[in-house]
Amino acid sequence: MRRSRGADLVIPALALGFAIYFFVSIADLAWEAKANGLVIGGVLVLLIAIQLVRIGLELGRGTSEFSFAELWEPRDALGKRLGMVAITVLFVATLHWSGLTLGLLAAMAAALWIMGARGKVLILLPLGVALAAYLLFVVLLKSDIPHGPFERLFS
Amino acid sequence: MSWDFLLGQFALQFGLWWIILPAILLGIVVGILPGFSPQNTLIMLLPLTLAVPVEQAMAFMISLYCANHLAGGIPAILVKIPGSGGAAATTLDGYPMTQKGKAQQALVLCFTASVFGGLITTLATIALLPWLSQIGLHLRSVEMVVVMLFGLTLIAVIAAKDTLKALIAGFFGLLIGVIGTDHIYNTPRATFGFLELYDGVPLVPALIGLFAISEALVMIEEKMIVSASGRERALQARWSDTVEGLRLSLRKWWHIVWTSFVGLFIGVVPGAGASIAAFVAYQQSRLWSKHPELYGTGIPEGVIAPEAANNGVTSGTLVPTLALGVPGGTTAAVMMIVLQYHGMVMGPRLFASNPEVAYGVFISMAVAYVFMIFTILPLARYMSRVVLIETTYLAPVIILVTIVAAFGERQYLFDMSLALVFGVIGYIAHKTNYHVTGILIGILLGPLFEQYLVRALRISQGDLTVLFSSTLGNILWGFLVLSLVLPALKGYLRRTSA
Repeated sequence: MRRSRGADLVIPALALGFAIYFFVSIADLAWEAKANGLVIGGVLVLLIAIQLVRIGLELGRGTSEFSFAELWEPRDALGKRLGMVAITVLFVATLHWSGLTLGLLAAMAAALWIMGARGKVLILLPLGVALAAYLLFVVLLKSDIPHGPFERLFS
Repeated sequence: MSWDFLLGQFALQFGLWWIILPAILLGIVVGILPGFSPQNTLIMLLPLTLAVPVEQAMAFMISLYCANHLAGGIPAILVKIPGSGGAAATTLDGYPMTQKGKAQQALVLCFTASVFGGLITTLATIALLPWLSQIGLHLRSVEMVVVMLFGLTLIAVIAAKDTLKALIAGFFGLLIGVIGTDHIYNTPRATFGFLELYDGVPLVPALIGLFAISEALVMIEEKMIVSASGRERALQARWSDTVEGLRLSLRKWWHIVWTSFVGLFIGVVPGAGASIAAFVAYQQSRLWSKHPELYGTGIPEGVIAPEAANNGVTSGTLVPTLALGVPGGTTAAVMMIVLQYHGMVMGPRLFASNPEVAYGVFISMAVAYVFMIFTILPLARYMSRVVLIETTYLAPVIILVTIVAAFGERQYLFDMSLALVFGVIGYIAHKTNYHVTGILIGILLGPLFEQYLVRALRISQGDLTVLFSSTLGNILWGFLVLSLVLPALKGYLRRTSA
């Protein structure tokens, strides 16, 4: 069976993009500020080049195929995975308005639903987690985490 | 220092059990949650510790600090989420043990290695304090560059399957670790315009993203985090498994001793902490093992080494704090504030003017470790049940609770987003076998390595030969070369003999 190698290029691509940005951002700095980054970034670029050559040779010989399947497989978990990321992004983005308790309650309930949980647990688990987080972060630690309608009501 | 004095101090500290026990429980809770550091907890509790007599304040802070170091290994073993940077190396073998259904044994190994490692090094510190306090003076930036390299070599070692991928991951992490202002001119580098990155990449969001979120995104694929046979084993968990863990620890007593001393010696150096100690101990443990190829598959030595080392650090960190007045870490700095508030003058004179406080701190630590083993050991059986929770419930709780925890350390919403970014990077790395631990080692050690390297080069005005200018440094270089050559040599000899 041929190895799928397209996905193996994602981390090197991210690393290469970051290394180039890093080099640009330190171009005008004093040597003390850029020496370490230049050495590390230089080695990183060299390692990525070796990886590219290795994968290129494998693709050329036909022992590997250019595919990103590794990242999506298994397909039946893909929806859940994307759903979890989307819920987390929404939770962080709306935290300013919803506050910790309500935001966490809604996000937890939605995440559990996407994961396939049904019944009482859809209410009880989010309620328990949200209240525990409220007690810990707001009541005990008095942290600066955004306050929403719930926190304001009980402040 | 007489035996009467020592025994009196031990009796006094045992009498403070009513402070030590709650502090241990609080330390365990704080240690389990990523994002909650002992220093932040101690800062929040400063009004309390400043109000009580100094002996009680120190007993409370020391117990919380030690328990915190121990508890970081619990989530690292059960769900591959290190509670702190010092427990990151524990995931390498702790989590595979859990997947095999040996969570209880792994937890017991973690507890015994932590407690006995901490206890042995504390007693050694009491006995060797005058000499230990000198170590920090001899390990300067030149020598510390080599110590950092010991930790960094682990990057190449952890992923035996594909060294190139491990190196790319490690160097990617190292470059991420260089983000932030430089150590000389404070000019920002690669911060993407975010002020929040001027102090560098914060460790907690990186830890949460790379380990907790990425692992939760992967665990969605299975119904349980343990295999079917592992589930059977976990369901049949008995007290005998705790006993088996204890027996394993006894069999590996020498391993606990020497790896905890690695932690002690690294802890003595101000600035070097539990993370570097745990990784160096793991790397050394693998190097001298008769079966290095088994590391990473879930073997007891892989849990013992990092846990014993990161608890060996606890007493080491306090040596420069008390003996030289230089805090060995942030937690030690908070303790120093409390001691100074109570009128103590740090430095060598403290041992003459207030021996009950100076030695009392270490005796308090020893007593805390004794209490800890009785408090936590029976809990291993119940904690190991976490692996029986279905991923349907576990994954959402892990992702959302740890995202909130990412806020805890610096109180920035930005850190929550950063944790998610690292989560996605960690997931891709996980699926394509670019070791996330490699990335984390880079992020952890990159800034420290740069700090020591630039300091050494600054002193020598850019002359690289300064790195080979000290006798101790050259001895360490020798050991470093040996630790790189030896595994290759061993492999060659094994192949030729086969």
